[in-house]
Amino acid sequence: MSESLVEQGAVTQMDDEPIIFCQNVNKWFGEFHVLRDVSLEVMPQEVVVILGPSGSGKSTFIRCINRLEEHQEGQIIVDGMELTHDVRNIAAIRREIGMVFQQFNLFPHKTVLENITLGPMKVRHWPRDKAEAKAQELLNRVGIPEQAAKYPGQLSGGQQQRVAIARALAMEPKIMLFDEPTSALDPEMIKEVLDVMKELARSGMTMLVVTHEMGFAREVADRVIFFDHGRIVEQGTPDYFFEEAQHERTKLFLSQIL
Amino acid sequence: MSAISHQTPSDSIIPAFFRDSRVLQIIGQIIFLIVLVLALSQLLAGVNEQLQAKNLTPNFSFLSNPAGFDIGEKPDWYTRDNTYGEAFVVGVINTLRAVSVGLVATTLLGILFGIFLLSNNWLLRTISRVYVEILRNTPLLVQLFVWYFIVMFSLPQIRDAIAFPQEGRAFFAVRLLLYGVIYFAMRRYMRPFSVDAPRRIALTYGTIATIFAAELAFHFLPESYALGDISNIGFLLYAGVSILAFAGVWIMLKSSLRFQLLGLIGGQFLAGLLFYFGVWPASGLRLDVYPAIYISIRGFAFPEILPTSRFVEWAAFVAVGLVLAGIMWGYFGRITETTGRVIPRGRYALLAIIGFTLAGWLLVGIEPLPEQIPVNQDGTTVFMPLVEAQQQDLLTAEDIKTYTIQPILITLPQERRNRAGILTGFNNATQISPEYMALVLGLVIYTSAFIAEIVRAGIQAVPRGQIEAARSIGLTTSQTLNMVVLPQALRVIIPPLTNQYLNLAKNSSLALAIAFADMFQIMTTSMNQSGQSVTGIVIIMIGYLTMSLVISVVMNLINSRFQLVTR
Repeated sequence: MSESLVEQGAVTQMDDEPIIFCQNVNKWFGEFHVLRDVSLEVMPQEVVVILGPSGSGKSTFIRCINRLEEHQEGQIIVDGMELTHDVRNIAAIRREIGMVFQQFNLFPHKTVLENITLGPMKVRHWPRDKAEAKAQELLNRVGIPEQAAKYPGQLSGGQQQRVAIARALAMEPKIMLFDEPTSALDPEMIKEVLDVMKELARSGMTMLVVTHEMGFAREVADRVIFFDHGRIVEQGTPDYFFEEAQHERTKLFLSQIL
Repeated sequence: MSAISHQTPSDSIIPAFFRDSRVLQIIGQIIFLIVLVLALSQLLAGVNEQLQAKNLTPNFSFLSNPAGFDIGEKPDWYTRDNTYGEAFVVGVINTLRAVSVGLVATTLLGILFGIFLLSNNWLLRTISRVYVEILRNTPLLVQLFVWYFIVMFSLPQIRDAIAFPQEGRAFFAVRLLLYGVIYFAMRRYMRPFSVDAPRRIALTYGTIATIFAAELAFHFLPESYALGDISNIGFLLYAGVSILAFAGVWIMLKSSLRFQLLGLIGGQFLAGLLFYFGVWPASGLRLDVYPAIYISIRGFAFPEILPTSRFVEWAAFVAVGLVLAGIMWGYFGRITETTGRVIPRGRYALLAIIGFTLAGWLLVGIEPLPEQIPVNQDGTTVFMPLVEAQQQDLLTAEDIKTYTIQPILITLPQERRNRAGILTGFNNATQISPEYMALVLGLVIYTSAFIAEIVRAGIQAVPRGQIEAARSIGLTTSQTLNMVVLPQALRVIIPPLTNQYLNLAKNSSLALAIAFADMFQIMTTSMNQSGQSVTGIVIIMIGYLTMSLVISVVMNLINSRFQLVTR
């Protein structure tokens, strides 16, 4: 029972090798230089929180990691596979990466259960029984086991986001990307989603989280990265980052947000 | 739980009835109804009085009077002696002929242009945009006039009818085109295989050898080649070339010989069988062509497709194939669901259908035609060989159905010429009038512009995040389209699409303007002759109402399948 997907992910990965390796990644939207020489290594089971003002490229960066955006220069290697135009690589990498979006993006025409089982059944080719058992287990884990038969439109925002997390976890990913998962939620619902994410982090999942939740960053992050103008300005442990940040831009950002 | 929360509005003080909004609403509706009934009965009484003064009491009995007019486009049974009612039935048939074909064609064309409107290709996008804007911003009546009075009237007289394709040997280019299609179909199929995969090599050389053999046979086959004659020099040549091609490949390649052998022999065997049983007829191999379509100011002549006496047997084979495909689809689907094992069930189902269709065609053709057939010559029944009877033109339509090996007979239009050798018409052809063509073209193209916009809007209404979410859980492009985008787009597309279908059905009444005998045009003529305008209009309205309701009911049923559940 306890052999959760996360632990499987951890076993297959050597602990001394980064699971995500980015080197000098550059990207332009037309004339706009959105990512400038971004280099980053993420170890298995590491929780990295990415902070930064809006428009700094932090969302674009994590979207590059599962190829929802293409980078134009540099190298991104995920779990030993390089992201190129090779569709087979892209498909394989997407199977290993789960993603949670700001707007949930649940499929409105499918029930909660169907939302969660779609990926495992169609991509991983699991039998229905196995996929549904897995979905029910995940719904228990995110705290809404009774909502399986409902449609996303019948759930609250917080519940929808938790279903979205369950949907991403159903693929048994090695890495989870969170793109501002709580920004579209009412303040009351933020906590229920953050609790799920904290539990996930403690279970050993490799996570990249773009967020404005400083409390979450302080509590669970192994490392905090600060983005500005498409560049990594500063990074460090939460203690270092929130107490002893060196860079002027970081200090300004923290003074406005804390 | 305070007492107030249990109090319903009716428990509070009841207002006087003339201030109670609920009572007032009901009273208002009753008054409106009374006024409406009074006004309508006044109007109808007035009309009735007027008509009675002219000795024209509205009744439906005129429908059984003889119509006395002829109809341009009609089934064989209708003559000018038939009744008004029967004339109207002819009109209904004509309307349904135009609307049914129109609905299908406009949907296909609309979807095509809708997708083009979203294309990344600038040229395609712009052309579709111009197409849509021109068509939806000009009146349909004007477009019908263009189709009928400009396009159809500029067609040549029947004696100079445009024939397509031109008679004669097919150009080399046409054959190249055929081979091109084969090439691209194969390339698409072999995409997953690496260059050295045995199956790829086998298929490639099998096809090349087949085409090579076909081309050679094409050059050396004598004109008198008869189907099924193994001693024929062409067939021997064909076999010889097969062996030669095999030897050549054997020398060239040493690896995975088994598969090359399979490919070659399989390809040759298949081609030989198709050839021998006439599925790929001699004329197909030779690519002799005869005109299949004639276009003139009198209309369009298409090939006639006739089921022969062997059709039923063949149809049974096809039906078995379809049923088997359905069973396999369901069964393999269940296996995939319960075990997760992936089975390409679509491919197996297709294989079953194609296999049974082909096998049926071959098996049905095994029983040979009788050497001598009875024909009616000058009132007496005589026996003679089929070819002779054909030459003497003694075969009736029934004979042709009986004495044909193939289950379906496709006859090209036969030119009918007068004594001076001038083309006057066609036998054995499916003929379509220019009026019908203009009406269907006008309706289809006009409506397709609206449908294109509906399809584009529907696809664009699916948020980008849905596609990203589908991609992020690893679905492929086609899975994303089928399972995420289309179900949501159809929800947006179907209600306005229903409106466009209704528009097309009702706009078919514009047939009046281009002299196509639809139900409106025929009833107008009937009303003019009989003076029964009130009943005539009622009948027309019932006709269109029925058609519209049927379309609405069907579309609403489809629509209800795609509705979203919200709180």
